Amino acid sequence: MATGIQPSAPLSPAVLAILLSLAEGEKHGYAMMKDARTPERGGVAMGPGTLYGSIERMMRDGLVEESSTQDNERRRYYRLTGLGGTVLAAELERLDAAVRSARLLGLLPNGGRL
Amino acid sequence: MTPATSNASHSSGPTEESSFGSLVGLYALALNLYPRPFRESYAPAMCQTFRDALRDRSLSLRKLVPLVFRDLLISLAKEHLSMLRDSFTRPALVFNALVLAGISTVLALALYAIPQHVLRAGLNDPQIQLASDLTARLEQGATPAEAIPAASIDMARSLAPFVIAYDDQGHPLASQAQLNGATPAPPSGVFEFVRQHGEERISWQPIRGSENGVRIAAVVQRVNGAHPGFVLAGRNMREVETRIGQVQNMAGLTWLAMLGLILVGAVAVG
Repeated sequence: MATGIQPSAPLSPAVLAILLSLAEGEKHGYAMMKDARTPERGGVAMGPGTLYGSIERMMRDGLVEESSTQDNERRRYYRLTGLGGTVLAAELERLDAAVRSARLLGLLPNGGRL
Repeated sequence: MTPATSNASHSSGPTEESSFGSLVGLYALALNLYPRPFRESYAPAMCQTFRDALRDRSLSLRKLVPLVFRDLLISLAKEHLSMLRDSFTRPALVFNALVLAGISTVLALALYAIPQHVLRAGLNDPQIQLASDLTARLEQGATPAEAIPAASIDMARSLAPFVIAYDDQGHPLASQAQLNGATPAPPSGVFEFVRQHGEERISWQPIRGSENGVRIAAVVQRVNGAHPGFVLAGRNMREVETRIGQVQNMAGLTWLAMLGLILVGAVAVG
């Protein structure tokens, strides 16, 4: 079933933040939400609704999967799939190319953090 | 890889726990607004995530609660739209919904067309009798002045039926009704048709316009005999057209309600 996330298309900020968070290892919902808020992970302030809506679509696209880890009956853990890792790498490549281009155009200060 | 833990970074007292419980209870109640499949899959995990966020306190309550409830509203809309998209990409569901929409459209059209026809046809009943009686009297030799009562009816205002006699060329001979001080005549094509077929039933508009227009339900008959001509019996359609408009509105609302029910049903099943 089509789910709206095309691997070649730019990812939404929420999806990118979730993928970045899960790149560290499997995590539960709040850990991903907290990670996403940090500037290094996209600075996306999302609530549980956006988080689980995105996870639902990412699972359908095969980017993430639920893991068997359980420390609480209601807390669910997720991890990146192989496809999820590939899509994340492609997105980071795309963003990196955009940043390099911005530097060449003088839009970013030399040695800028980005 | 080591799973990240959810330990709260701060401990919370019994009062805070109680207020957290109320907030989580309210949130859990609001989660019932999500589409059922989504709710069944994620509601417990979403509540747990909210509970974890409340206990963690890395974001103050003043920031966290508006963030979570604003996010709830946005994601509610997204999930319902997503479910609608998914539902309407299922051919069997779309086919059934289209068939039901087609049946509803036919029913709504019938709900309008049948009463409209009955009301409009019934509007002609007195004129048919009036025209027949006047035709008979004129054919028996009565003059138009004798056969038509002298009372003057304002065609624009009165709902009373009236009769008019015309000569063979369509010029008025005698009239029971006036419109702006004159006796109007229907289009000449009407007389030509009646000359060939004996009778015609028409909706005649001596004054056109949506607000000030005058529409007459008219029956025109041919008068044969020594002084051939025509008789027209008419009646202002204003009241019946108002009723037809009400029927149209009711049929339209019924149609929209049926389409709404089909949409809700498709979403519920989908």
